[in-house]
Amino acid sequence: MLTLKMIRDMARNKMQFVSIFLMAFIALFIYAGVGGDWRGLKHNSDSFYRETNLADVWLYNDGFTDAAALAIESLEGVSSVERRLELTVTADNSGSSTLTLYFVEKGAISKPYLMEGEPFDPEDKDGVWLDKRFADANGLTPGDTIGASLSGYSMSKTIRGLIYSPEHVYEAGGDAMTPDFAMYGHAYLSRKAFPLPFLFRYSAMLIETESAVGADFEERVADALRGADSSYTVYLEQANHPSVSIFENETQQHKMIGDLFPVVFLAIALLTILTTMTRIVASQRTQIGVLKALGFTKSAITRHYTAYGFFLALAGAALGAALGPLALPSLFFPSLSSFYTLPEWETAWSVAYAWAAAGVAVMCAAVTWLAVHRLLAGAPAETMRPKPPSAFRHNPLERTKLWRRLGFNAQWNIRDAPRNPVRSAMAVVGVFGCAALVVCALSMNDSMLWMRVWQYETINRYAAKLAISANASTAEIDGAVSEVNGEAVMEASVEIRANGVRKSGALLVTDGVTLIQPTDVNMKPSAFPDGAASITLKMAQSLEVRQGDTVQWRVYGEDEWLELTIGGIHREPVSQGLTMPRAYFESLGLEYRPTAILTPEVPPALPDGVDFATLTSDSAADWDDLTEAMRLTIYLLIIAAAILSIVVLYNLGLMSFTEMERGLATLKVLGFKSGALRGLLLTQNLWFSAVGFALGVPGGLWLTRTIVALSGETFDFPVSIRPLTLLAALMFTFGLSLSVNMMFSRKTRRINMVESLKAME
Amino acid sequence: MDRRNGDASSTVKEIIRFENVTRRYGEGGHILYALDSVNFSINTGEFVVILGPSGAGKSTLLNLLGGMDAATSGAILVDGKDIAGLPDDKLTEYRAAQVGFIFQFYNLIPTLTALENIALTKKLVKQPMDAHEALDMVGLADHADQFPAQLSGGEQQRVSIARAVAKNPDMLLCDEPTGALDSETGLAILEMLQRMSRERGKTVIIVSHNAALAEAADRVIRIRSGRITGIAENPAPKPVSEVGW
Ligand SMILES: Nc1ncnc2c1ncn2[C@@H]1O[C@H](COP(=O)(O)OP(=O)(O)OP(=O)(O)O)[C@@H](O)[C@H]1O
Ligand SMILES: [Mg+2]
Repeated sequence: MLTLKMIRDMARNKMQFVSIFLMAFIALFIYAGVGGDWRGLKHNSDSFYRETNLADVWLYNDGFTDAAALAIESLEGVSSVERRLELTVTADNSGSSTLTLYFVEKGAISKPYLMEGEPFDPEDKDGVWLDKRFADANGLTPGDTIGASLSGYSMSKTIRGLIYSPEHVYEAGGDAMTPDFAMYGHAYLSRKAFPLPFLFRYSAMLIETESAVGADFEERVADALRGADSSYTVYLEQANHPSVSIFENETQQHKMIGDLFPVVFLAIALLTILTTMTRIVASQRTQIGVLKALGFTKSAITRHYTAYGFFLALAGAALGAALGPLALPSLFFPSLSSFYTLPEWETAWSVAYAWAAAGVAVMCAAVTWLAVHRLLAGAPAETMRPKPPSAFRHNPLERTKLWRRLGFNAQWNIRDAPRNPVRSAMAVVGVFGCAALVVCALSMNDSMLWMRVWQYETINRYAAKLAISANASTAEIDGAVSEVNGEAVMEASVEIRANGVRKSGALLVTDGVTLIQPTDVNMKPSAFPDGAASITLKMAQSLEVRQGDTVQWRVYGEDEWLELTIGGIHREPVSQGLTMPRAYFESLGLEYRPTAILTPEVPPALPDGVDFATLTSDSAADWDDLTEAMRLTIYLLIIAAAILSIVVLYNLGLMSFTEMERGLATLKVLGFKSGALRGLLLTQNLWFSAVGFALGVPGGLWLTRTIVALSGETFDFPVSIRPLTLLAALMFTFGLSLSVNMMFSRKTRRINMVESLKAME
Repeated sequence: MDRRNGDASSTVKEIIRFENVTRRYGEGGHILYALDSVNFSINTGEFVVILGPSGAGKSTLLNLLGGMDAATSGAILVDGKDIAGLPDDKLTEYRAAQVGFIFQFYNLIPTLTALENIALTKKLVKQPMDAHEALDMVGLADHADQFPAQLSGGEQQRVSIARAVAKNPDMLLCDEPTGALDSETGLAILEMLQRMSRERGKTVIIVSHNAALAEAADRVIRIRSGRITGIAENPAPKPVSEVGW
């Protein structure tokens, strides 16, 4: 019998129930969906690393002896060691692609992951296992041969299999930010496949440790190597490996979104459910009294009402938790997989989703239980009677002259809003949530657009950057510079340390450059300091240094640390490090050797001594690809914000409408036009929207800043929002708010005066 | 003063005429006639009482006259103009200008004070009665700043009368205005309504269960099951206070 009542009640309060269902659904959809996304990234990469036994530490020098390998292997905590020769060669396929070759000892650490063909054989003299993405991009399949020239010796191998390498989840080759799979690849070969055995040496040592690498490990490694008459030039731990750390950064960003947004959604969903349930129970006040008078026990009644909230929320939440992880990752993964290489892109499930769904349902039930419990505390006779109208107090504003001038609309609403503080607060929170999400999404978009302009229009005044061949002669370089009317610069990787912090960054040595426009800390065009080094703002912040401070630095791979005094601070969006003029660089006793030529226009043909050209326009397009995932997030946020606010505002509109219906009917009988009534409803709504929006703007910017803080150390991501965008966010928020209101304007016209006023409710 | 006792029929002007007015509810097999071909007329300034048992169709009649409900068929002439077929916005204008409604449950706006409830009328008609004056008229000048919840039932009903009269309408439509009040307070309200008719020339139509009120009315319309069962003109109505209440 009570079940029948429940079903009838649900039919009558359709919209409110639908909104509880929807809110629970959206909250869990987002929570579990983004969870499936970042957990999926983590899970897929972790299992890839595990299956391929990714190295925990890499050591580099120009040749590790057996004794050195033995010394490391016998270190406590080291489970195995493997050496390999790493070489970068130019492949002789159609283009002049760059291949990194690994001539491996055993192929047991950082194993190639077989995608196609025969499994890797460390004894095979003639075979090569080629990066599948490189092979696909170049139309190569197992059985084909591929050749390369190696110190003047050309070798040719048969492709035995296509593989993925755990060290190339992110393919960092080249200058561009997006991987170019046709131009950059890698391949695994047996060390026995090396064509010039007398030249063979192991340039890298891969270490697998039993547990996480301790802080003293580097020292112990150095000691052990010293004991074996060896040393290293580069020590790299897994977390710092470029491929690993870039992918980890990506995962962290997704996790951040996954942690932050669902909280916003869950909070708003719960608040909406709370207000709606309280409201529904309150509207059933007399019914509850009647049920009680009929002799239903308190617990039967409580169970009856609690069941509404619980099952609805549970159904919505469960559906959201089930669909989210299926839907959202498939939205993100395609763009990510064009960027990163993993054998599997699968969503991940977690019991956390089920807990969260159960949590939402339980919270919803608890809220309902509380509301009913309060009502049941009274005697039936009291409960049956409608709730006495709350007494009004005059508010202080009324004593002022202003009050008279406010007009009826304002007066009405100033009095009406505090009548139901929960509803008013909800309206503000709902609009706040919507505005914050929209502002966050749009400011992220603005920032990315701004960075694009900043880097590729303001700073990069060159049309192309030509990479100078490693073996180009000085004459060739000079010839190339004058042929393209360009400017030569030297680029290198450096390590910088200060205040106990050590960072890697980029070095740019300029030689009277005009095609790079430095920008100051306010992102305004400025100039590099004369005869001194300049450091990027973000780098300075990471190292906690200012202009005039001293930092230590060295070019990657060098042993000796140098000192320099910071002569200036400039700001760059996508790369952090040092810039210094050639004369200063040389005065430190370093050899200036140009690595790139900047050209004012795209040269019609590549001059001699140049490997390839990177066009600024291509880089800008790469930037768009890079930010693709971010943009998807933005669309998702905006859609979510829209749904969220529609549900919240509709729900609130419905509530305030039902609460005000009797008053509105009275006004209508008095002869007020529908338009005037609509105005009344609208005024309140607009006020709440205005307050919510005003709070939502800083809220949204805060959200963006929090996300951006995770974008990694190489990016200097200033959070900005253009006034025009702010206006768009304003229009979006108010537009939604208004259009939801319009749904009620039709209702004001249809208020049935006879029925609304029939009985005292 | 009492024009109804004079024989000068030229001063008697018809204000309301119902012609075959029907209000039907439901469709198919469940048709219910709340009003079934009702005909009557009322003159300007009359104090009219509509009597009938519960469910007779009294409220329906009043709601149709007040433009709050639409007739299924028939004509409702007010000042010679048929309001039955008016579109919504015209009906709203009609209600604003010509009708003052008084309900059993007062229906004051809870968020507005007594004075403000009356001052609402400023938004509706060009020359409403001054709100203070209207409040004074119903003897509540001292309660101007109280909210409805702070007023007794009788006081609330007086405010609602003041609000209805302040618009300066031609007619006051009262649906069981004393239904929620004790007899003494009810009497005071009825006296007030009669005064509106006698002193201000308003056409006052009161729906009541109380047959005794018939003696005070200029015209009594009896209704049962949606049909008029009798219309009586009373040449010598008594003041409400003298009716056995
Ligand atoms: N919305 C409706 N739907 C169906 N029937 C209705 C509706 N409103 C009223 N009625 C019916 O119309 C008839 C007349 O109702 P009305 O409210 O006019 O009676 P009344 O004379 O005012 O009674 P009371 O003295 O009890 O107020 C009743 O039989 C009622 O059931
Ligand atoms: Mg009635």
